[in-house]
Amino acid sequence: MLIGIDVGGTTTDAVLVDGSQVVKTAYVPTDHDNLLNCLLRALDELVVGIDVRKIERVVLSTTLITNMIAEGKTDPVALVLIPGPGTNPKDYNLGESYILDGAIDYRGREIDKLKESQIKDAASKISAKRLSRVAVVGKFCQRNHAHENQVGEIMAAALPGAKIELGHKVSGQLNFPRRAATTLLTVATKDQYKEFAGAMTAALRQRKISAPVYILKADGGTLPLDKSIEMPVETIFSGPAASIMGVLALTPVGQTSVVVDIGGTTTDLALILSGKPLLSSKGAKVESLLTHVRAFAVKSVAIGGDSVVNVAANCVAVGPQRNGPALCMGGTGPTPTDAMRVLKMTTIGDAAKAEKAMQDVAAKLHCTPKEAAQKVIDAVVEKIVSEVEEMFRAWEQEPAYRIWEIVKKEKLQAQNVVGVGGGAPPLVPLVAARLGAKAFVPKYAPVANAIGAAVARPTLTLNLHIDTEKGEYIVAEEGLTGKVTDRKMTPEQAEKMAKKLLAERAERLGIGEYAGEAEQTYSEVFNMIRGWSTVGRLLDVRMEIPAGLLPSWRRC
Amino acid sequence: MSSKGRTGKTGLIFFPAFDWAISPTHPEREERLLYTRDQIFEEGLMDLPDIDEYKPRLAELKDVARTHFCVPDVESQVTEAHLIAAGSTLTLADALEKGEIRNGFALVRPPGHHSMRVVHGNRGFCNINNMAILVDYLRTKYGHKRIAVIDTDVHHGDGTQEIFWHDPDVLCLSFHQDGHTLYPGSGFVNEMGGPQALARTLNVPLPPGTTDEGIHYVLDNLILPILDEFKPDLVLNSAVQDNHYTDPLANMRFSANGYARLNEKLAPDICVLEGGYAVETALPYVNTGIIQAMAGLDYSHVREPDFVPGRFVQTEQMKREIETTVSQVQKIWDERDELVNDALAGAGDFYRRRKRVFYDTDMINESQEETVRLCPHCAGYMTISTQAQRGYGILNSAFCVSIPRGACSSCREDAKEEYEEHVDDRRIGYVLMQDKDLDKFKFHNNMTHTQRGY
Repeated sequence: MLIGIDVGGTTTDAVLVDGSQVVKTAYVPTDHDNLLNCLLRALDELVVGIDVRKIERVVLSTTLITNMIAEGKTDPVALVLIPGPGTNPKDYNLGESYILDGAIDYRGREIDKLKESQIKDAASKISAKRLSRVAVVGKFCQRNHAHENQVGEIMAAALPGAKIELGHKVSGQLNFPRRAATTLLTVATKDQYKEFAGAMTAALRQRKISAPVYILKADGGTLPLDKSIEMPVETIFSGPAASIMGVLALTPVGQTSVVVDIGGTTTDLALILSGKPLLSSKGAKVESLLTHVRAFAVKSVAIGGDSVVNVAANCVAVGPQRNGPALCMGGTGPTPTDAMRVLKMTTIGDAAKAEKAMQDVAAKLHCTPKEAAQKVIDAVVEKIVSEVEEMFRAWEQEPAYRIWEIVKKEKLQAQNVVGVGGGAPPLVPLVAARLGAKAFVPKYAPVANAIGAAVARPTLTLNLHIDTEKGEYIVAEEGLTGKVTDRKMTPEQAEKMAKKLLAERAERLGIGEYAGEAEQTYSEVFNMIRGWSTVGRLLDVRMEIPAGLLPSWRRC
Repeated sequence: MSSKGRTGKTGLIFFPAFDWAISPTHPEREERLLYTRDQIFEEGLMDLPDIDEYKPRLAELKDVARTHFCVPDVESQVTEAHLIAAGSTLTLADALEKGEIRNGFALVRPPGHHSMRVVHGNRGFCNINNMAILVDYLRTKYGHKRIAVIDTDVHHGDGTQEIFWHDPDVLCLSFHQDGHTLYPGSGFVNEMGGPQALARTLNVPLPPGTTDEGIHYVLDNLILPILDEFKPDLVLNSAVQDNHYTDPLANMRFSANGYARLNEKLAPDICVLEGGYAVETALPYVNTGIIQAMAGLDYSHVREPDFVPGRFVQTEQMKREIETTVSQVQKIWDERDELVNDALAGAGDFYRRRKRVFYDTDMINESQEETVRLCPHCAGYMTISTQAQRGYGILNSAFCVSIPRGACSSCREDAKEEYEEHVDDRRIGYVLMQDKDLDKFKFHNNMTHTQRGY
């Protein structure tokens, strides 16, 4: 049996899944100040009367890191940058940082040497500020780890006991400022996350639950809790990821769906394209920081059941503010929820108060309350539909750098509009009708997120960079460098090599059994020509275990 | 106008055509913008709030036909890569006109500025002229009249010059390494446009080894003052990196910082990438600098690995040579109205010139006779009779007729007559008609007696 627990904004949901069956659900109100306790309470409620020895896996989806960052409760970090030539580091708005000389170029060649005295000087400044956490990030250091390693060593010697994180271990992808931000957040959250993971492990042991514990990441994949302490930032935004994985689990295989999660203040939209949840083309944005964290493309629209309804110039405007709950639920002003109540799309709330809310709107529009309610609903649906269309358009307009990508880019249309979350059921059919798609509110919609966590499989990414002129290969995240002897290495050979390296990385992270699911998601090869002859090849391969469901979960 | 003083983002299209090359070892190959990609992606430039990345689109065949007489037709001369490179400039033009961006940079390949009005094949790595297509599009779709094209490629922008040779409303100003020492061997001070448009083509040949100092002297003392007087609606820049001190195909001494500063001062509305073949040592740094300068960012941190300020010093002789050239060009510009009046006074009803064009990439020899009516009421219609031989292979011939924007009725009638006269003339392969006024283009095949339009 599998357990999935998702910490949401208002409730923490838990489900128990056996094969393809949801056996039991439970929920408790979310206590944002004590997430551990809240997860355990949901777990305890779920396992009442269950033989805990039969639990095969527990997956947690928590807002721990998201909250920590949003509330400014992260630990202070000294950011050390080796920016080399290019952009003025001030333009990145990464906050206070220590800038070092030294530079590596795009091929991983050293352009400028480090200055040892300067590094020591920075270390003593950091020490004077009593900072014990350091992020060291250099431009192109994913292509040559020497500078970051060297600075790390000098810092470690000068700052005994300090936690030092190197940029290349966090991400091997191009984009220095994103790597800096991601590294910064990693150091800033690692200790508290480790504490949480430790406490969670202990609490489970106490409950005699010996099943492996996983954590859900922003890309809809799971990772063993004890390994995830290396990359805590990847667990941000696991809530939307859980919902999307839940929808994937509850809809037919291979279809294109729009996931609509309508809440009180906001509506979250996501796309599943031909059975694959759409990842954001670049990494996630965490508060003001752009990161390398792979995350699903989720669009948050400021419209929901409790949005304020205004009338101006005979037109209805809904949102973006919320002034408390709907009038029919004891609030102050008219909201879409009141409109739904008047149109009998829902039975929740006081009918008379809803009528009163719509009478106010109707008076300004010179129509009946029912017509007014219809106009409010139309405005909400219109807003959601236009945002969905915009998401498809943005996906089509994603920059591409090859002819075939521009010429052959397919056009996709939504087949399903899937509703999750409280406000979805009454509105989903209307949105679906406008998009020419089937409306679908799964039976377990309210706990789709917890189901998603329960049945999501692990994900893993590996970036392999090969420079045959230098006779070298690099896997930055592993801090790994090796030799290649074949100057004419083919993309097929590189793919094989990446597959093997990914299997090793998967093994190390305790998810070796899924290595077979890995697929190549990106590959490029360039001949390096100097003069009129080929001197070598540059190959880049990205090997991934993409988001997916456990094989034990079979869909309708 | 230029983008100076305008606020908003810089639109960027990066289209490296990673799956297109002239041939595997040709300088114009897949790898050309690879390190530039690595550098600008690693810099995170696309994420900065001052920059907006756009996706390119394919230009329509009609956009090409508006500028070029492609023989035998547009499809035979362009690949999808060419249409995307040209389409990128049009995407930026639309964004600029809609007010979405304050300026734009099409960092694209393949390049275009050696392509002339008639196209039989590839010359100087170019098939179609992205910049000229952009100019014609801006005028047709948005009604702009006066446009300045500043060509900063180390090679003379002979294609762009040839296309706008007779157009007094397009200022084509090119500075480049002296044609005595570099492809395409043209671009001398005395090439200054057709009789109606004298001094609207200006050439500033520079001695090999010219440094940042020399080029900025030309910019400050010649180009910027001329732009002030010409008052174009838009300033476009054929932006390139082969004046760079590491370029393998040329001999100039320009630096990344010098390029960035040039773009800051010139403040072009749209920049279009042309050549530049120092793929490792120049392009990553120069492109970064240009993007930063256009976006109003600090570019002072951009520096080539081996660059030290003061590395290149201009000799006194070089300095004097540049000053002399600048004063010669200045004189031509100052006397522009007189030059036109004198030329037209002595000319008859028609202006004729014969030309030979060599397509170095495709080994094609073309000979042309171009005729323009010197019409007092409009720009005058143009005909071009062209014959081209590829190696020892087939001979392609065509007769081309162009009706200008705002053509008078007499020119329109005569042009049509010329076209009809040559249709089905067995001595000529193709008859092409360009009606820029109605934005209609037709191509007639005299051998198959078929016609098609764009």
